[in-house]
Amino acid sequence: MKNSFLFGLMIAVLVASLLISLALGRYEIDLSTLTQLLLWKVLNIGTAPKEVMLLSNIVFDIRLPRILAVVLVGAALSVSGGAFQAMFVNPLVSPGILGVLAGASFGAALGIMISDSWFGVQLFSFAFGFVAVLVALGVAKIYGRSGSQTILLVLGGVISSSLFSALLSMVKYVADPYNKLPTIVYWLMGSFSAVDMKTLSGVAIPLILSTIVLSFMGKYLNVLSLGDEDAKALGVRVVWVRNSAILLATLLSTLTVVVAGMIGWVGLIIPHIARFLVGADNRVLLPMCALLGATFLIIVDTLCRTSMSVEIPIGIATSLIGIPIFVFALKNAKKGFA
Amino acid sequence: MSFYSAENLYFSYNTTPILEGVDLHIQEGSIVSLLGPNGTGKSTLMKLFLGLLSPQSGEVRLKGKTLQSYSIKERALHVSYVPQSTQVAFAFCALDIVMMGRIAFESWFQKPSKTDKDLARAAMERLGIVHLEKRTFQTLSGGEKQLVLIARSLAQGAKILVMDEPVSGLDYGNQLRLLETIMKLSQEGYTFLKSTHFPEHALMLGGYTYALKDGHILAHGLTCKTITQELINELYHTNIELKQTVCGYPVCIPSFVHTKV
Repeated sequence: MKNSFLFGLMIAVLVASLLISLALGRYEIDLSTLTQLLLWKVLNIGTAPKEVMLLSNIVFDIRLPRILAVVLVGAALSVSGGAFQAMFVNPLVSPGILGVLAGASFGAALGIMISDSWFGVQLFSFAFGFVAVLVALGVAKIYGRSGSQTILLVLGGVISSSLFSALLSMVKYVADPYNKLPTIVYWLMGSFSAVDMKTLSGVAIPLILSTIVLSFMGKYLNVLSLGDEDAKALGVRVVWVRNSAILLATLLSTLTVVVAGMIGWVGLIIPHIARFLVGADNRVLLPMCALLGATFLIIVDTLCRTSMSVEIPIGIATSLIGIPIFVFALKNAKKGFA
Repeated sequence: MSFYSAENLYFSYNTTPILEGVDLHIQEGSIVSLLGPNGTGKSTLMKLFLGLLSPQSGEVRLKGKTLQSYSIKERALHVSYVPQSTQVAFAFCALDIVMMGRIAFESWFQKPSKTDKDLARAAMERLGIVHLEKRTFQTLSGGEKQLVLIARSLAQGAKILVMDEPVSGLDYGNQLRLLETIMKLSQEGYTFLKSTHFPEHALMLGGYTYALKDGHILAHGLTCKTITQELINELYHTNIELKQTVCGYPVCIPSFVHTKV
């Protein structure tokens, strides 16, 4: 009962922030004009507002793709963060735990250095996100049978992250400092400013599908968080469930880098806030993560593009906003992250 | 055909042998206690019976089929595990934990049904812990946690419970209450394989005892016949005397008690 109310409320907040974000920007549109435009364009109700060409250009061609991308990326980062936290039975885990973010960043930087097309950069980023996770899994596999699988995976992730961070530094070092290096650095700070309809349509379906499927894995992740032996004895195919969750979460995280570069902290703090609201049950927690993450990132992105005359890179903003929230969320650490 | 048994089990971690040629037979509805000093392979043996580990040679058979021939799901419908301690990092309530026993019955996108919830509640009621259902698992006492985990096994529907030192960490009263619960469940037809550090607990529950030392079965049979003064002293390097009380019930009395007097 309490949960369905919370979900209703959060959906309302998400829709409200969507609308406000559509209205705000360099060219401000008041909410009544925006409503009029949306009703007319989408549902064919009422009359067209004044300057309809200009308005629909701004709203539908410029702002909407970006905002939809923000929604998807916010949800994806938060759900994969929540899933990884359940899987590793550790509330301090973030989506980058298996090296996917380091790998995707390296891939993007490499792509920027050797390729001139944006699509090439995205492809490199996507591919190396997966390569990094495979490296982590491979390292864990070397010592496969003995000891706890999760600890080996974490160590594999540490190794893989370090490896790809080092490779990233190397790319930065050799990249052309006037032309390529600034692009790489700016990419790593994260931004949605380059998002267009083409990028969005390419990543939307895998992002939406993986977010939904991962959210539905909640009950298995619940059991997995009791530890491998318990889960196996309860009849869960641990390896299969874990690998599927890792695959989906990797796909989600690496796609976020493809769309918007490095955006830190969202995948770490949103699950904490969601857990604070609805408890630790992943069946409820993961959908709540998706809603909260989307809303949070819309708000931050809107601030990034409207609060100053130049756009603030969103990765910087999420860190600056995320850190105090995280310090506050740690208060719950003693209660088992209730 | 035996109900649940292991024949000629060999198991080693890397090159260190843990179990060498172990035979163990469990009859339906009986209680089997595993006795033995620390590090003799009791936990390993139970994990082999649960299918959490696979033996290098030999096999575990359940109802005539090898354990490997069951799928993980099918196995969970027959055998359940009550671990010594479950680390729960997240704040699940007791009912959530018990409900997890039903997971093998649900398919991917299925929500737990009303029946699942009723079965979980019924299991908690049976153990008298229904009042704990909304409590966070970590805030429960050791005894309450054990009961919640047993309730999870009952909800799982498995008629065989494998318990790793079920009384460890419990106070005296909770130890006795837990043993009573095991006794009652066994009278209702549940089968138990449990390890214990207390020969007296094995004697209280009766059933069968297997004494394990250095990866071998040292002695086995009916508990009242198997647990002898000599066996305990050999197993644990102690010096105790097994005495019959007035009502014929055996108790262990360590020798230092006499020297004190």
